[in-house]
Amino acid sequence: MPTDPPPTDPSAPGFVAIERAGYRYEAGGPAVVDGVDWAIPRGEIHCLLGRSGCGKTTLLKLAAGLLLPSEGAIRIAGEALRGPSPRAGFVFQAPTLLDWLSALDNVLLPVSLKRRPTAAERAAARDLLARVGLADLAERRPRELSGGQRSRVAVARALIGAPDLLLLDEPFAALDALTREELQDDLLRLCALHGTTALFVTHDIGEAVYLGDRVAVMAGGRLTQARRIALPRPRPPALRYTPVFAAACRALREAMDGEAGPASRRPAA
Amino acid sequence: MTARLPSLLLLLILLAGWEGWCRFGGLSPLVLPPPSAVLATLGGEIASGRLWPHLAVTAAEMGLGLGIGALVGLGTGILLAEVPALSRLLRPYVLASQLVPKLALGPLFIIWFGFGMTPTIVITALICFFPLMETTLTGLGEVDAARRDLFRMLGASRLQTLLRLKLPAALPVIMAGLRVAVVLALVGAVVGEFIGGRSGLGASIIAAQSVMDSSLIFALFIVITALGMLLYEAVRLVERRVLHRFSKG
Ligand SMILES: Nc1ncnc2c1ncn2[C@@H]1O[C@H](COP(=O)(O)OP(=O)(O)O)[C@@H](O)[C@H]1O
Ligand SMILES: [Mg+2]
Repeated sequence: MPTDPPPTDPSAPGFVAIERAGYRYEAGGPAVVDGVDWAIPRGEIHCLLGRSGCGKTTLLKLAAGLLLPSEGAIRIAGEALRGPSPRAGFVFQAPTLLDWLSALDNVLLPVSLKRRPTAAERAAARDLLARVGLADLAERRPRELSGGQRSRVAVARALIGAPDLLLLDEPFAALDALTREELQDDLLRLCALHGTTALFVTHDIGEAVYLGDRVAVMAGGRLTQARRIALPRPRPPALRYTPVFAAACRALREAMDGEAGPASRRPAA
Repeated sequence: MTARLPSLLLLLILLAGWEGWCRFGGLSPLVLPPPSAVLATLGGEIASGRLWPHLAVTAAEMGLGLGIGALVGLGTGILLAEVPALSRLLRPYVLASQLVPKLALGPLFIIWFGFGMTPTIVITALICFFPLMETTLTGLGEVDAARRDLFRMLGASRLQTLLRLKLPAALPVIMAGLRVAVVLALVGAVVGEFIGGRSGLGASIIAAQSVMDSSLIFALFIVITALGMLLYEAVRLVERRVLHRFSKG
């Protein structure tokens, strides 16, 4: 697997361009995101991999426009972000559904905040729910859904506005392995359908390799590694158990260990 | 019903014990009237129709005081939650206003508003204001950051975030405040009447006291308790309806 250097050329083609972005929660405090350069071409899925606390969520919020960078800039289609981007859909770490709305109304929330949903929009929401396997549960409230089903609703909600960019913050981290694999496949299908660009944050190497066209490794607020995943698309579920997939995971893991240096080197657990 | 049977049985035992103590304990009925006398008095008050106007006055004071106090408390809570600068400015004053014993303001309110229902309604409203304001402020502040980020991401206006996220999410906490306010409203209305009432259940207690009619006082206790329980259950009903709509399903 070839290692490509993080792009440093600010004019590099990228639908999403993160340019030397830095972020401090307090002025004078530590830089939680520190000089990150990254570009995502339109239609690609990039994964951000790193230990918890390394600044992944913060970087994702910068890409969403929920936080504004203390240094550098974030551009979407060439335009610098000044606030939450209307072109982006965000899937939070917890499903963040509204308990008092049905699954269908939760999916329709982005629409209903703008206008009364039309029949066509309601049909589109039902269609999205069907695509994530919840056709029969549209009227259920979140409390009557399992964890995996809630995550599916959250993904459907992020996709209802057909966003150009999908930002996902460890959306499947709390789910069991089987459900997680199903949701990964759903996500790949849905992204392929509209050619959606995505930035997916995870701490799971397998997840990053399975989903990503490219994987960036983050540590201490910096991007320390970037690798292109040379696996063909569409990726069949059985790919996860092939030697070539295992080799890609191992290579990434070794790269992460190598980066951490011998002092903090730990046996692979 | 079967669940309430033991409670009911206990009540009967207690009443029987009370009755026996009055009859055979040589206690003056002036100090503690037997339940049979209290019930007879209560029956007489109901039959003669003397009770109803007083009940109506107290219920009206309670309802109006609770309604006004709760609405103003809710509004103030929303305002302070939405404008933190205002909250920082006004919190000490709001707190101080709550630490003033409001019943002690009764005589002042009589000077301002005269005798009658108004001073009692004002006192009741002042008492009900605080639990609603406090729970609204707390509830609105507790809405989790991820859901607020979600609404920002969706481009929701401030008003939309308030009406479609914060208020529904805070509703269980606010309703708990309302329940507390109901109990306080009854105390406010009855004690308010002690100070300046011409009519109402509290005023009737003072009148009964001046003629040493302790069985009438007990009869009025029963009416007041029943009124309180009725209103409390009404609020519980509203709460269940609202929470059903806004939370579980
Ligand atoms: N709202 C905040 N205020 C101050 N510090 C924060 C805040 N959120 C996160 N941090 C800090 O920033 C660092 C990175 O957090 P985060 O981006 O959530 O990491 P990750 O998503 O990789 O687990 C952590 O050390 C965390 O303590
Ligand atoms: Mg995180």
